Amino acid sequence: MVMMRDRPVRVLGLVLAICYATFVAWLYVRQPQTLAEVTGGLTASVGAYRIDQQAFDDGLELFRREQHEAARAAFARADVAGQDARTHFYIAYSYYRSGWGRMYQDNELFTKGLAHVDRAIALAPGGRLVVEDPELQMHNADELRAELAEGLRVEASDFNPLRVFRQRK
Amino acid sequence: MKAVTEAVYLPALFLTVALMGGLRIDERVTFVAPPLFALVLGVMLVGVLVRGGVLVPEVLMSASRAPLENLNGFTVILSAYFAATQVFNLVTPESGLPFLLFNVFLFVLLVNTLAASPDRVSVLRSMAVIIGAAFILKFVVLGAISDPGDTMLKRLLYVLLEGVTLGTLTQPRLHPAAGYLAFATLVVFLIGLALLPARRQSVSLIRSVE
Repeated sequence: MVMMRDRPVRVLGLVLAICYATFVAWLYVRQPQTLAEVTGGLTASVGAYRIDQQAFDDGLELFRREQHEAARAAFARADVAGQDARTHFYIAYSYYRSGWGRMYQDNELFTKGLAHVDRAIALAPGGRLVVEDPELQMHNADELRAELAEGLRVEASDFNPLRVFRQRK
Repeated sequence: MKAVTEAVYLPALFLTVALMGGLRIDERVTFVAPPLFALVLGVMLVGVLVRGGVLVPEVLMSASRAPLENLNGFTVILSAYFAATQVFNLVTPESGLPFLLFNVFLFVLLVNTLAASPDRVSVLRSMAVIIGAAFILKFVVLGAISDPGDTMLKRLLYVLLEGVTLGTLTQPRLHPAAGYLAFATLVVFLIGLALLPARRQSVSLIRSVE
């Protein structure tokens, strides 16, 4: 009799405990930094996360006009929770284009780009991300990652004077 | 014990401690998983709680209880263990000599409490003293030593610890809110322990015949 009366409370408590424990474990694994990242991460985990499309389009336009710093600001506004793989890809590409130079690469920008492309790969389903954008020369996140990683490595080929003829992708 | 305490309040309190125990506030917020030794200390603390009658497994899980009740009881035991582990993660310094000394200090205190086979009230008091002492050492004493400013307490500690290389004692600087959050977490943990159901007193209905 007592058990029957307590049953709803016990079921509710069990469900709440499981949800809370899952949330705690999620926080420790994902390490969100802001409340937006927490809410974005939770909505992304149930497939309900949406980026701000207007801000993303603004970012894309700025990216194509080579205004990379402004583009990154717009992309960051579009994906405040940092849960969208495609946005991370464009931010990484923007860092690549900003940091690329005929004589040398800007290591700081390339490092930031690498962090974003790694995040894009981690967020993409199965780790595979292909962006079908005719304006880009690298469509695959792995290709962009390799380009950024190569730029950060110091190799003998870095001292090849013919490097000045290479093209930015 | 009321069902709501066992099913809702206790898991909520202990899981909150498990969440807050690893929280570190610096330039960025991080959640630090417990070091391996904290898991060992957590097991020892659960042992102390069981031996002292603070945590009575048979009250929370037994054949006479319904499966749902046993599930609630299991949740309480598991969350209490996670909370105990995270409490040690919280009160133990991050690295170096203090990390080693604190772990030895806590280990010896827990072994001593286990060997003493105390009652429920004594265990609760003992927990408050152990956790409180570790809190003061980490957040007040070590916090003062690691603080880059020149405070009265720091100068006093320099005199007291003369001969010890302070470089081995200093820790990453603590955020001003860290101590307050840690204090609140430890209070929540102690409240959770005090709310755990005690052993039922059995009354003999049969009179022995001389």
